[in-house]
Amino acid sequence: MEGVKLLWFHLMPYPELPEDFNRTHRSVWVDIDPGLFQPEVVADCYQRYVEQLVYAEQCGFDGICVNEHHGNGYGLMPSPNVIASVLATRTSRAAITVLGNSVALYNPPVRVAEEMAMVDLLSHGRLISGFPVGTSMDTAYAYSVNPGNLRQKYLEGIDLILKAWTATEPFAFNGRFTQMRYVNVLPRPLQRPHPPIWIPGGGSVETWDLCSTRDYVYAALSYYGHLMAKETVAGFWRRVEENGKDPNPYRLAFLQFIGVADTDQEAYRLYREPAEYFFNRSLHVYPGYADPPGYVTEASARARYQSQVRAVVRAKQAKHDLTWDEMVEKGYIVLGSPDTVRETLEDVARTFNCGHLLTMLQFGNMSDELTRYNSKLFGEKVAPGLRDLFADAEDHWWPANAVAA
Amino acid sequence: MSAGDGFDATPGDGARPAGDGTPLLYLPGIAGHPASSPVLDALAAVGWDVVVPTIPGLDGRSGFHVPEDYLSWLVVVWDALDATGALPCPVVGASLGGMLAADLAVLRPEAVTALALLAPFGIFDDAHPGLDLYAVPTADRMSHLFAKGVPEPFVERFADLGPEDGPVARYLCDVAAANLLWPLGDRGHARRLHRVRCPALVLWGDQDELLPVATSEAWSEHGLPVEFVPGAGHLLEWDEPDTVASRLVEFVVGLPVGT
Repeated sequence: MEGVKLLWFHLMPYPELPEDFNRTHRSVWVDIDPGLFQPEVVADCYQRYVEQLVYAEQCGFDGICVNEHHGNGYGLMPSPNVIASVLATRTSRAAITVLGNSVALYNPPVRVAEEMAMVDLLSHGRLISGFPVGTSMDTAYAYSVNPGNLRQKYLEGIDLILKAWTATEPFAFNGRFTQMRYVNVLPRPLQRPHPPIWIPGGGSVETWDLCSTRDYVYAALSYYGHLMAKETVAGFWRRVEENGKDPNPYRLAFLQFIGVADTDQEAYRLYREPAEYFFNRSLHVYPGYADPPGYVTEASARARYQSQVRAVVRAKQAKHDLTWDEMVEKGYIVLGSPDTVRETLEDVARTFNCGHLLTMLQFGNMSDELTRYNSKLFGEKVAPGLRDLFADAEDHWWPANAVAA
Repeated sequence: MSAGDGFDATPGDGARPAGDGTPLLYLPGIAGHPASSPVLDALAAVGWDVVVPTIPGLDGRSGFHVPEDYLSWLVVVWDALDATGALPCPVVGASLGGMLAADLAVLRPEAVTALALLAPFGIFDDAHPGLDLYAVPTADRMSHLFAKGVPEPFVERFADLGPEDGPVARYLCDVAAANLLWPLGDRGHARRLHRVRCPALVLWGDQDELLPVATSEAWSEHGLPVEFVPGAGHLLEWDEPDTVASRLVEFVVGLPVGT
């Protein structure tokens, strides 16, 4: 029997940005002052964060997730594959969910095919391979990839990787962006024909179509919670239907920040500081990095100009002066006792028809103690109440050897 | 003022139709070409048939797909230039149009009889990087192209398309320009400018935020004489139309008849 999958997602944030960061610095991304990062602190973070991911498996989570950011103060994983390789050998059951690699950043993209194959082998077939286009900050600015060609390059890269994983003999690849006389990726992944493909995305029509037509999982990764994501999720399912595909709930993954405590009041008290740190300090991104010409297609640009409501919301987000009550009220974080959280998440999962719930139980400068408390409580008292959801649907997008809790 | 057969002129790009005079080709800058320009009028007044080709993408037209690399861009642009029927002739190129014009002179020397460049992209000076226009919030970008305020034609460009299509057209124009210039606006011109054989002149606004005046040294080092226009920003022909027009007229009037 299947059942909703619960995954534990880590951004690996730098936890010691100054309190006045959003007033004294331009951006947490791209041109953030490197002097803010103490190597000793980062080293400790890596140790602590890896242990938290390992602990998540012990708490009963079905998968553990890492992702990719560059020049970023809230995501210290420029190479998620490095962390994933550690997790592959430190865990035994959970799906190793790598929601990097931004394919267009790597030349040639077979490097991605090679490293992901290694992680799949190291984990004995537990890899979920995520292929994000990548944010504008990561791609156009931190890596200077031409935004006007980014998506074409990305799609070509995915084609090359999939062929490299499945071809029965060496082949030549004559692409527009990559040309290779000999493609022969060795070793190949353990999972055949290849690990499941998940596509993290923020709401572009093109990504919805890519996922629905090619049968990839769409991972809706907004940091702004379930209320804000309704439009995105509805858009995805609309394209699934229009592309003639079934509404299998496992086509979708959704990310939600969560804070669990014994009571609603206690949760309100406990998670305020790390949430304020994350939303008002870590998401302080200079607006100039948000809109490189060509990053979105004409269709998505048109959709954006049609959606004035969302523009207003985004303008508010960009201010980074949200109050704690606003964060809670707007659903950025699902907060409360185990029953409160379970009820909300059950409603979200049903409403969204979402079979893969990506839980963000560590965020901002949350302490190790609170992270473990949050994770343990979720695993023991929230997760069991969600397990029966979508038990009748079949998850075609789960790694061959990852064992659900 | 004319355009050759097959010239894909559109109202959105403000392209000027061609007539029967001696042609002069003008390649517009980073923000495309709105309806009118005092500098082009001045060139026309002294008898040149100014031809403004539509650079694909800069017209903001729906459905344009950016080429995958610079060589492919040159083919697209050259197809548009050849379609005007104006070449060979003098070529004036501004901003990214200057970058394209310089390569036309380098790679197709028979097509360019004289070359005038207005703050051309093509060379990035590590020591004087200038403003990264595409890291400026969208609404503020235009103001950095000029030292004396955004001229009305640029403010009004695409406004007639309405509140939805207008911003989309402006976005598509930016997509094309940014694609040509990403990430530094350096297309290796420093390695090939020595092949410019025709008479050449480079004008540069001394208030240029995108390409600081120090960038111009690389052009003069490769044999192209540079003159500065005081008080002008990146699109200097709009900031100081009289100065730029008189210098360009002086330059082209001095050219041998029939060039």
